[in-house]
Order: sequence, then structure tokens, then C-alpha cells
Amino acid sequence: MKKQEIAISVNDLHVYYRDMKRFSLKKGFKDKGSGKIFKAVKGVTFEVPKGQILGICGKNGSGKSTLLRAISGIFSPDKGSINLHGNTISLLSIGVGFQKRLTGYENIYLSGMLLGYNKEQIDEKVDEIIEFSELGDFIYRPVRSYSSGMYSKLAFSITAILETDIMLIDEVLSVGDIHFKEKSYNKMKELISDSNRTVVIVSHSTNTIVDLCDKVIWLHDGLIKDQGDPAKIMAKYEEFMRENA
Amino acid sequence: MKRFINDIKKYKNYILYATKAELKNEVINSYLGWLWMILEPLAFMLIYMFVAGIIFKSKVEYFPIFVFIGLTIWNFFNKMVTASVKLISTNKDTVTKVYLPKFVLLLVKMGVNLFKMFVSFILVAIFMVIYKVPITWNILWFLPILITAIIFTFGVCTIVMHLGVFAEDLINVVNIGLKMVFYFTGVFYDINTRIHNPVYRTVLLDLNPLANFIYNLRNVLIYSSSPVGLWTVIWFFIGVLLTALGIRTIYKYENTYVKVMK
Repeated sequence: MKKQEIAISVNDLHVYYRDMKRFSLKKGFKDKGSGKIFKAVKGVTFEVPKGQILGICGKNGSGKSTLLRAISGIFSPDKGSINLHGNTISLLSIGVGFQKRLTGYENIYLSGMLLGYNKEQIDEKVDEIIEFSELGDFIYRPVRSYSSGMYSKLAFSITAILETDIMLIDEVLSVGDIHFKEKSYNKMKELISDSNRTVVIVSHSTNTIVDLCDKVIWLHDGLIKDQGDPAKIMAKYEEFMRENA
Repeated sequence: MKRFINDIKKYKNYILYATKAELKNEVINSYLGWLWMILEPLAFMLIYMFVAGIIFKSKVEYFPIFVFIGLTIWNFFNKMVTASVKLISTNKDTVTKVYLPKFVLLLVKMGVNLFKMFVSFILVAIFMVIYKVPITWNILWFLPILITAIIFTFGVCTIVMHLGVFAEDLINVVNIGLKMVFYFTGVFYDINTRIHNPVYRTVLLDLNPLANFIYNLRNVLIYSSSPVGLWTVIWFFIGVLLTALGIRTIYKYENTYVKVMK
């Protein structure tokens, strides 16, 4: 009776930040782990069918980004599990992890390889990435000399063109100037509309979510407060935010 | 263990590319570029030759090569350990954006410093020709001893890297420790002839792995003798053990590293 293939299963996910601040030796090792525990995500369960575009909304500090990072494998869950069913995944956020001293060109290869591509696959795509990023000759200069706009353009181009099965998007839709913003928004839509691609978008913007998503999850204090049809949920969410402002 | 091998296969391309990029990047930003890889050890060699040869009137055969071999191994170990302490936070941008097994970062650093060591050993070979050092079959021991030194260094670095994430001032402790080991390692003096007390000699030569590696490398490369290998073998196994322990610890805790670094 399985209707659709599931791409992401998140089961009773908990992510805690122990107060494991970096301690100095003079304070002694005994401090380790004795601090308070901050629960960022506390028991979230959901499934994303293949091809779905899921939106996640919630106020600042509600655990959205933590959830996204946990799904991408950067954080380990403290309890519960995340199953990606063997899909490749990338977290699209500002700067895929650039080595600032290296050139943009080298960073394309480095980021690509981190996403699991080999050199030949990147060779094929590299011109497209450079073209899309509109960086021109700057691509051969060290990334540290880039303006923040150029930086995010390159980051966006890399993840947008080196496609993965699952894309996690953390508020990227405001990259660069108006021209690039529109271009990336359209590219985003194009990528998203591919029925094989599963997408999770974190955003505050009602427009973005209603426009792009099939379903939305509203996170509040690390728990799912509501989920369902984007238009309905976002209306409720906005109302809630105004009342509690 | 299986995971370790799979991950190495998976990230092999990245490690190689990142190593190359980092090497290129290091030289691109300085006027003399590649030359520094040769100039730096040469300059240090001259300093130690002056200190040891003229001030302490050391009479060691093939003294320049003697110092150079010591420096080559020492520099490798020293640079690796120093870099490991802050390795995760230096790569913060990568680590917080994408998952990668954290020892991969260490392997990239390894690649960079292995290349430098390789250049350094080519210089050793050139010196050996210039000084007409007699070459014997004992030179075949070179590789096993070197591999032992590399594995031991990697083992130490995995653990230092892990602790470095949590302890902010570990770098200070490590710096003092390294300075101490440096003077105990006999980079510019010969422990075997200088230290007459047999107990101290054993402690310095055998229980200090670096002194042991350097002593044996000198023996096989320039003094036509076979290595005194018992402790080298022991250090080899300790190195493997440290590596296994380090990799296990890193796997266990690597996903909490990001939470600590804020």
C-alpha cells in the first residue's frame, strides 16, 4: 500500500546543544559536559516523499536551521534517526565551505568533490557554473577578494548546477542584486520543479513558501506546531507571529 | 576500520586536489615561491651547524647531512602537530557547511607536509652525493623507518586534533611540549656520543620516538650501519594503535565538533 517512494524519513529527532563551550585547560577537564543542555529540536517526526517540496517555517531559534543541518549530516542526532534512503544531499546555504585563500575556480572543484562528484563530472559542469555565477575573470582570483555578493553567487551556482537528489535550502533566495536574485529564483524554481528532486526549504517569507512548496511544517520551540497546506498554515503562522510579537 | 577505508576511497579525489591546491596557494603568495621549500630547511641547517659546530665544537661526520636529516623529520612532525591543534577551527567554513569525515582534513595537511618532506629528502640525497657518502644496502631500511615515523605522526595528530576542538589553550601546551621534545631529540647533536649515562641515553634514544627515528635514519643513510630496530618496531605498533584510537574517537565525536564551535 506504499503510494510513493520516501526520500527523507525523520523519526523522533532530538538535537541538543550541550553547554560544551570550548573550555580552557586552566578551568580543567572536569567542566566538560557539566553544563546545561539546550534542546534545539525535541522530538520531530516527518517523512518527505520523493519529489516533494517541503517548506519549514518558524520564528528565530525555533530549530529550523538545526533541523536542516541534522538532515544534511553535519550534526548528529542525540536521539531518534534520520534516513535518507541512499539519496545524495546538499545543503545550499551561503558559502558551501570555501577555502578563502584559494581561487573560485579551485573552490568549485573542492566543493564539488565534497558533494561527492569526481573530477570528470565537475569538468563537464565547470563552465556552466562559471557562466551562471557571472563572476568572469574573478573566478581565477582568491575567494577572499570577493565581495559578499560575489561570494554568495558562486556558492549558489555551485550547488544549483551540481545537482543532488535532495536539496536543502536555508534562506538563499536573497542572493546578490535584483538581477541575480530573479535569475537565481527562477533557477531555483526550475530545479525544484524537477519531479525527481526532493527539496526542503527553510524560510520566513510567506510568499516563497506559498509559491514554491507543496507542504509546510511549522516548527515552534523545537516541535512541530502544525503542518499541511502552505496557504493555510502560513496564514495561521502570520497571525500567530503578529499576536505574539 | 572498514568505514575508514571506504571514506578514504570516497574522498581520495578531494584529498589529492585539496593538497595540490594548498601547496600551490602557499607558494603563490610569496615572492620566492617554491624556493622556500628548499631555502627554509637550508637556513635552519646553517643556524644549527653554527650553534653545534662552532659554539659546542661538535665533531660529527657529515655534519650538515646529519643535521638535515634530523631537521627534515622534526619539521614534519612539528608542523603536523602544530597544525592539528587548530585544524577544525581553521576549516570552520567547510566543517559547518558540509559533512566530511574530519580526518580527511588531517590527510590533506599530511599530503602538504609529506610533499615538503619529500623535497627535503631530495636535498639530503644531493648532499650525500656531494659529500661522497658511501652507500650500502642498509639504505633499504630508509622506507620502513620513514613509514613508521609517518604513521606515528598521524596517530598523534588524530588525537591532538580531537582534543584541540574542545580545549582552547591546548596550543600553548603543545608548543611547550614540542620545544622540549625538540631539544631532547638530538636534531643538532648526537645523543649516542654526547650522553654518557646509559639510562638517560636509553630514555632519550628509545623512549623518544622521534630521536629513535632520526637516529636510525642517520645510521642507515649516512653511517652505513643497520638500524637498532627493536624500539622502532614498538613505536610502529604504538603508532598504529594511536591511529586506530584517534580515528575511532573522531568518528564518535566528529558530529559534535560543530556544536562546540560557535
